[in-house]
Amino acid sequence: MFLNIILLFLFAGVPYYIFFEKTKVLKNDKIFLVSAALFLGGIVLASLYPQERSNSLVVISLITSVFSIYKATKTSNFYKVSYYMLFINAPVFMMFDLKHSIPYSVSLLITLFGIYFIGKYYERNYKSANYYSISGVTIATPYAGIALTIYIITLALYPPFPNAILFIGNILASEINTLWYITVVVIFFGNFFIAMRIMTKTLFGKPNVTIHYVDFSSKDKFIHFLILVTLAIFSVWGFQEVIQ
Amino acid sequence: MEKIVLLIPSIPIVIAFILFFVNKKELMPKISIMLSSMVAALALYGTYYVMCYDTPITGFGGLVIYNELSSILVPYVAILGLVIRKYATKYMWDEPGYKRFFILLNFIFSAIYLLVMSNNLIVLAVAWQLMSISLYLLVSFNIRSKSAVKNGSWTMLTHKLADLLFLIAVVLTYKTFGSFDLAELSQKWLIMSENPIDDPRIYVIGFLFLFAAMMKSAIMPFHLWLPYTSEAPTPISGLMHAGVVNVGAILLNKLAFLLLLTPMVLNVAFVMGLITAIFASLLMLVVSDIKRSLGYSTVGQMGYMIMEVGLGAFSLAIYHLMVHGIFKATMFLESGSLIKHARHDPNIPKRLSYELFWEEKANYSSKKMFRLLAIFTILPVVIFIGIKMILAEEFFHFNAAIVILAFAWLTGTQLFLSFFKVSKSESLKVVFALVSSFIIILFTYEYLGLALEHFLYGENALRFYEAATMNVTMLMSLVLLGAIVIVGWLFMYKQHFVDVPKSKDKPNKTKWLFYKILAKEAYFSDIYLKYFKFFK
Repeated sequence: MFLNIILLFLFAGVPYYIFFEKTKVLKNDKIFLVSAALFLGGIVLASLYPQERSNSLVVISLITSVFSIYKATKTSNFYKVSYYMLFINAPVFMMFDLKHSIPYSVSLLITLFGIYFIGKYYERNYKSANYYSISGVTIATPYAGIALTIYIITLALYPPFPNAILFIGNILASEINTLWYITVVVIFFGNFFIAMRIMTKTLFGKPNVTIHYVDFSSKDKFIHFLILVTLAIFSVWGFQEVIQ
Repeated sequence: MEKIVLLIPSIPIVIAFILFFVNKKELMPKISIMLSSMVAALALYGTYYVMCYDTPITGFGGLVIYNELSSILVPYVAILGLVIRKYATKYMWDEPGYKRFFILLNFIFSAIYLLVMSNNLIVLAVAWQLMSISLYLLVSFNIRSKSAVKNGSWTMLTHKLADLLFLIAVVLTYKTFGSFDLAELSQKWLIMSENPIDDPRIYVIGFLFLFAAMMKSAIMPFHLWLPYTSEAPTPISGLMHAGVVNVGAILLNKLAFLLLLTPMVLNVAFVMGLITAIFASLLMLVVSDIKRSLGYSTVGQMGYMIMEVGLGAFSLAIYHLMVHGIFKATMFLESGSLIKHARHDPNIPKRLSYELFWEEKANYSSKKMFRLLAIFTILPVVIFIGIKMILAEEFFHFNAAIVILAFAWLTGTQLFLSFFKVSKSESLKVVFALVSSFIIILFTYEYLGLALEHFLYGENALRFYEAATMNVTMLMSLVLLGAIVIVGWLFMYKQHFVDVPKSKDKPNKTKWLFYKILAKEAYFSDIYLKYFKFFK
């Protein structure tokens, strides 16, 4: 039980980001890195000591998820969105079988790192990771637009990107009960709403004439290319896994 | 060699990747059209193979299949795709995002091919969702327009809900029947249908698939996304109304044998389809926006399609979707040039029937007209029954026949009365032309329909009618048909012969209220606007 509680904490089942946000001990980008690191720690720990997780912990992570969805609707900062998304997906790691939830969590982390690097790119060029009023990215900065489109579609759980395929793998492998239905609906729509919200505010809309848009540098292109290739590999692998 | 046909869904993806690296604008449509022609050629070869050898082409570990349904639909979609690409070459030339448009177009075509050719529920789920996202990106193509993006969000929301229901249905299907393979499942369902079991879980699966199909096919109350996405560029509208919106009927055809086990699902499909057909047709007449009116026309047709599925006429739905698709795509793609010409010539569009038969008669004989109208009201039913008796007599064993008969009568009478304007012209030439052309058209339509039914489902086709049969006696059905004919006839008689006095009084309150509700689209759009502000 004690190990399960630790796992709940590591797998973003408790909204500990509130502490960091209130105290301002860490900046937003660092909160994401800390959450990601704890998350990876959780994966290692869960792999070493496999445990049955109780329904009450799943319920706690569901509450965290719903709360994080609410928080994510109140922000327009890429860093914040990155770690909120991690917390939104917490019930997946608490409820589903590790064999299936670990690939999903790795794929989710890779996508969130993509969003994190988009945040870095925004910070470098627009002096903040805030995407508010930087609209029409699809037309104004096509390369950044493509990368962001793919990350958002991946987060919104659409195939052929890995999150959607691995999510199907998760729900197929688990036992169906009331909690299963609630978790699936919350994860499915939670991810979708937040991702689509970012899409309408960044990719769509008229490009802002008061902003000087700058597209990806060669370094950005390389980083995002690597992330996209990794996601593509995960997609193919995930599809084979689900089919089997 | 024939396995090459199975590469069809991947070709548009390859085209999209090639287009990504092409910078010369002139080359983009050329590459797209050239390689898409290859898809059409492959599809036709596949159809030839399936028809000649009477065996489906399977591959990739049984994940994809080129069977009877694919051999009908894939060439249709491929040829439609070619026309749309050719049209878009010039139409989209000055639009920002020319490359993006062709890339997205290829993605959606890939999703449609995959959906039609899938033989596995997971592949079907992937294609089903891939189509949702491609459609959203295409519908919101004009990213600068707030309304386009907002309406796109409605589309997305409806489709996401359909995706969720679909996924849950897939999971439940796997848990209940233990397989993803559609061919294997169909076989299992067919055997099970011989000794039906009353398992509520199967009904839940059936309803989930039905509702997912209804959402994507814009059936009431999930219809709003279709009429409100007419802001998309014309080629996209053409594709949407001729191809994408039909996926509901395609899905239900792929799962036809499952629905054999769930007659109640078929009955619900019939009722929902019927309501949609009537309601959307009424709205089509009332809404003031011409593009939205066209949207409602498509919603109405989708209603008919789902209704046909509900009656067990699965192949008829496929036939309908193709005929309607060709008709609607022509309308959308032709509308631009028609508007352009109409601005110069008020007599455009010309009606051939007017030129051939129009004969203004100031004093026509009321008696003669009454007889003519009576004949025209009864004749379609008589012709339809006659043709059906010649081609497929067993059709009358199921009460679906009565409903189809009623609709055939409605369409036939409407065609006779409105198209040729009998109220003003009643020469022998008109009557002869009317009756003979009606017989030829109906005979061809019925013959092709039956050939398609035999090709798609063979001897199992009648089982669907049997499963869809409602618990209504033949006598009751005939009484109902008689009532529809009499009411319809009275309505037409009143329309054509009774002078409506021009009153200066205010219109009837009930009529006015009815009109107001319809003009406001039954307040569906207001409700959506008020309560569905998700992406703000």
